[in-house]
Amino acid sequence: MTPGERNAILALLNSASVTEPTRRALVERLDARYERQFFDEAEFAVLRAVAIRLVPHDPDEMDLTGTVDHRLHSGVGDGWRYDAAPPDGEAYQALLSALPAGFETLESVAQDAAIHAVGISHPHAFEDLLAELTEAFMAHPLTQYRFGYVGFADALNWLYAGPNELEAQEEAYGPR
Amino acid sequence: MVPADLLPTDLDVLVIGTGAGGAPLLARLAQAGLRVAALEAGVRHPPGGIATDEIAQAGIFWMDERLSAGQNPVSFGRNNSGRGVGGSTLHYTAYTPRAQADDLKLRTEFGVGQDWPLEFADLEPYYDELEFFLGVSGPAEYPWGPPRRRAYRHPPLPLNGAARLMARACAEIGLRTSPAANAALSRPQDQPGYGIRHACTNRGFCQAGCSVGAKASMDVTFLALAEAHGARIVDGAQATALTMKDGRVTGAEFMRGGEVEHLGAKTVILAAGAVETPRLLLMNGLANSSGQVGRNFMAHVGVQVWGQVEDDLRPYRGIPGGLISEDTHRVPGLIGGYLLQSLGVMPVTYAVQYARGTHQWGPELVRHLSGYRHVAGINMLGECLPSEHNYLELSDELDGRGLPKPRVHFSFGENERKMADHAEALMRDLWDRIGARDVWALPRAAHTLGTARMGADPETSVVNPSGRTHDIENLWICDNSTYPSSLSVNPALTQMALSLRTADALLKELKRV
Repeated sequence: MTPGERNAILALLNSASVTEPTRRALVERLDARYERQFFDEAEFAVLRAVAIRLVPHDPDEMDLTGTVDHRLHSGVGDGWRYDAAPPDGEAYQALLSALPAGFETLESVAQDAAIHAVGISHPHAFEDLLAELTEAFMAHPLTQYRFGYVGFADALNWLYAGPNELEAQEEAYGPR
Repeated sequence: MVPADLLPTDLDVLVIGTGAGGAPLLARLAQAGLRVAALEAGVRHPPGGIATDEIAQAGIFWMDERLSAGQNPVSFGRNNSGRGVGGSTLHYTAYTPRAQADDLKLRTEFGVGQDWPLEFADLEPYYDELEFFLGVSGPAEYPWGPPRRRAYRHPPLPLNGAARLMARACAEIGLRTSPAANAALSRPQDQPGYGIRHACTNRGFCQAGCSVGAKASMDVTFLALAEAHGARIVDGAQATALTMKDGRVTGAEFMRGGEVEHLGAKTVILAAGAVETPRLLLMNGLANSSGQVGRNFMAHVGVQVWGQVEDDLRPYRGIPGGLISEDTHRVPGLIGGYLLQSLGVMPVTYAVQYARGTHQWGPELVRHLSGYRHVAGINMLGECLPSEHNYLELSDELDGRGLPKPRVHFSFGENERKMADHAEALMRDLWDRIGARDVWALPRAAHTLGTARMGADPETSVVNPSGRTHDIENLWICDNSTYPSSLSVNPALTQMALSLRTADALLKELKRV
């Protein structure tokens, strides 16, 4: 995240355009970093490498792997799971252990081939992990900034709803 | 939290659940002067504390784990069930079409499915009352169903990008469309027991909770009215057991802050929804002489088709469900029918659905998601026939409270598959006509229905046509578990109508006794 991106994000979040509950949630997420607690060190390193291939991102910018670990450690679920699958943590561990040894040091082409293989052998865990990482990615203020998303500016009415009827902050926000 | 010693005593009626089933009747009974209270597993979510952020609002969903089995496992959590004072109405998109008369007579019309033990005329006065009380925004002339006796209270909400594109595409092939009926205010209104509810701000986060009270969730409508008339709502209270004496229910046990407490009442109304209601009954072995508790679980066929266009649509703006077509209410070759609806969408919801629906990953995933501002969606919502192979049971796995987790078996039958295919082809055609690219379809089922069906015959149903259980004289059920068939419209408005109707039936019965 460049200083320019960070300043632009914080400028909007800290402006009068954003309500307090929304600001609190997003400012906290912008800098959220988690200490590994659920996975062991080796698993965590593999998970991070998988996460970067599944949802390309810079782990220094957003801690998607830590978000998954933190969720599993705190025992929070998403309300359901496939009956055919074990609990999320076990399912993810089984998926990680099905990857070839030294996965994190493989060339990217070999990593992608290995991910394709576990996607077939562990379909539910693969889908759940992909969905969870995608959620953390899309919910991150930096992603939202880069995609020009400004829907969290919720203190005012949106006057328009039609195609290409952009309001001032929609015109201004996001990379040029 | 209210200390235990302040729980109400001498209750006439205890209601378990505060959603579209429990809230309207709670208000009606309180207005009639009864001593009433409700248990709610979730907590209060005042509009002013609602963030415009999908992760921060996870607390309005039922996140206790449910197990999904069958060939079309139903996703729960953020898809299908609410938690909090107001229940699932906290996250519904406030889409409030009426059922059509023939929805209630599927067996008569097709020889399969189930007829409801009541007529459209039984619901109509309640629809009229509800649309006014909730402040439904809708068109002056709605093209489908019998003409309404009372116009919608407010004009329709503005149409967003997806709605305008859908209108254009449907016009090309001669499908009629109309602005939908939404229980969100296009003008402010004074709400008895609550005060002024503001007009919708077009913020598009209905499913994450309304932050201005524009959406008619139960907390800002019926529950406020109920409390103004003395009803008590005990929140953060998960019902764990019904207590019985001499064949009558005497109240309910519930867990609050790790403690087990009890609330007694002369009559108990279960309004916990089509998963928690049968779960509680099965755990207690109650009201199941028919063997129907947990049976015939239904979820609407709900395929969504998404695409991206050149226009900057900003799908977070405007009411998500703005435009409707019921021209597919009856389609040759299908049993029952479906409706079409335009879709706005919040970014995280869209992203997760895309990942689950396409299994796309890597740079291609990020490229697609970067086009979020250009996304337009259409949804179908269609009849699901009751079936033997769809049911809820208790699993051996225990939740955090030591209670068995529910397991829900769900597989589409032939009609559901045919309907999904028909609708997907139609929706793809519509999106092709507007020049959408990256078009993809999300196979999906929505809403939880059935599992404690109503009927006149105690051998084949759990509750009578008023909602009273056949087996236990003072135990009633009022939620979407009692639906004998799914109807081809969103369930919330009909559920509220059933709730007011059950309240009137109970009041009549109490007067008679």
